[in-house]
Amino acid sequence: MTTLDSGAALQHQVPRNRMLNVVRLQFVNTQTFIWVPALVLGGSWVLSMMIFWIIGGAGVTEVKAGGGSQAPLWYFLAIGIQAMTMTFPFSQAMSLTRREFFLGSLAAASVSGLGMSLVFVLLGLFEQATGGYGINGYFAYLDWVWAAGPFAAGLTYLTATLFFFTIGFWFATIFKRFGALGLTTALLALGLALIGFIALVTFQEAWPAVVKWFTDTGALGLTLWAIPVTGLLAAGSYFTLRRMPA
Amino acid sequence: MNSVIQVRNLTKRYKDALALDGVSFDIEQDAIYGLLGRNGAGKTTAMSILTAQNLPTSGEVRVFGENPYENARVLSRMCFVRESQKYPDDATPRHAFAAARLFFPRWDQGLADELIDDFQLPLKRTIKKLSRGQLSAVGVIIGLASRAEVTFFDEPYLGLDAVARQIFYDRLLADYAEVPRTILLSSHLIDEVSNLIERVLLIDDGRIIMDESADDARALATNVVGDAAAVERVVNGREVIHREGLGRVASVTFLGRLDGAERAAVVADGLELAPVSLQQLIVRLTQHRSAGRPGADGFGSNNSGPDSSGTKSPSTDTSDADTQEGSLR
Repeated sequence: MTTLDSGAALQHQVPRNRMLNVVRLQFVNTQTFIWVPALVLGGSWVLSMMIFWIIGGAGVTEVKAGGGSQAPLWYFLAIGIQAMTMTFPFSQAMSLTRREFFLGSLAAASVSGLGMSLVFVLLGLFEQATGGYGINGYFAYLDWVWAAGPFAAGLTYLTATLFFFTIGFWFATIFKRFGALGLTTALLALGLALIGFIALVTFQEAWPAVVKWFTDTGALGLTLWAIPVTGLLAAGSYFTLRRMPA
Repeated sequence: MNSVIQVRNLTKRYKDALALDGVSFDIEQDAIYGLLGRNGAGKTTAMSILTAQNLPTSGEVRVFGENPYENARVLSRMCFVRESQKYPDDATPRHAFAAARLFFPRWDQGLADELIDDFQLPLKRTIKKLSRGQLSAVGVIIGLASRAEVTFFDEPYLGLDAVARQIFYDRLLADYAEVPRTILLSSHLIDEVSNLIERVLLIDDGRIIMDESADDARALATNVVGDAAAVERVVNGREVIHREGLGRVASVTFLGRLDGAERAAVVADGLELAPVSLQQLIVRLTQHRSAGRPGADGFGSNNSGPDSSGTKSPSTDTSDADTQEGSLR
């Protein structure tokens, strides 16, 4: 086995800001990162308002809390998939390392998620101040999420966007690297793990304890749990991407 | 000699195929290389691994003395836009060039603008709606305007008409003269690029079967035409790579050259000697091999081709190759 001597390497500077430029590269997909999520958020808001108005028209005056504000969260799955499949091959033509591409994409998702969270918090504050647009209808201001204040609510929302983004990104990477068979196997393994958990809880007759844990932990507590989980997902994505051919 | 790329025993195995079979070669600084070979010979695989877009199964690659894998210091000095390059879905050529400007430190916007004009490329149409030729033009413009120290062009002419291809060749030469750099050009249109390239790397079935200067490559083979019996006397004992006949007239291409006395004898016999174009030579060599005929494994003993295992650096400069190999082992 012959080996090559690497001692003669010239010292060359790495150009700066390559990672930040990946954010700009991702935002070339304005449709993916801005317009579609904005449309999902705006659309679900309009639909929720119409439903509140219909219910209000029927003489119901109690609190009407819709789950519409979670709709854009799911879309971050799609953003994760698209950030991977659309932009990774081009990032390779731009001579980026996989690490630069991954961290830059994560930063781009954070920017998008941060924007969404800001809208979510502002809407919630507005609903809080106006008593649900004067008709007791709440799109963003959900008691359970806002229990620990607007900052915690924003953090929960932001964490959720990144959680879904990394799941989408990882699955897309698995699909691109190992094909449909690989992805299906991964999903089956995940399903198996979930069933194992359900079986464990059921056989231990621990469901009340599990439910109690979720309620006791609350939105902020769950968010604090979700952050390391998202970190693990991100690490998994990165290690899958690391040896991925363009 | 200053090699910017060193490849040793590089092997790439896909599930069902051996794309690269223990190849070794060096790429010298500031030269235009033709990476030639048939479809599926391993050209794109080799370029992908050199730019760390793909990973080798075994073997070593050094670019600027370092492993290029996940190495921003090395990668930022290279540019490889694939023949089947994918772009972000919403991207227009304008977006692609704006991105290239961000990532290639030696990017020349003036040159890019001129090339956009030359190729009459619509900047605001999304890339997925471009024609095949326009898509190739995007890659060519990024490759040229990046002015990367090592630039790869993977069959960059697909879908380009003859005029556009000439623009590419002219622009490449002009800019190369202005800003010398290392260029690897893979191509099937060997005649078209033969005046462009300074060195030939011929890859066949995952192995390098020729690593010569373009001039030396052209001198590797000779063609003799005339009376069949007389031609057979001339080529007797030589390695024939192509033979065709029409009645009593035969045309035979063989490896090697004739010395002065031999030439005189041939001419006295009423035979004609014709040069062999690079394209003819390469077609004959690779056709030969893929037909699986014996005696076609690389070159005869009068040339310093690779040995059959393909593990030695097939350099013409044997003394240099020896010292290099010595220091590498």
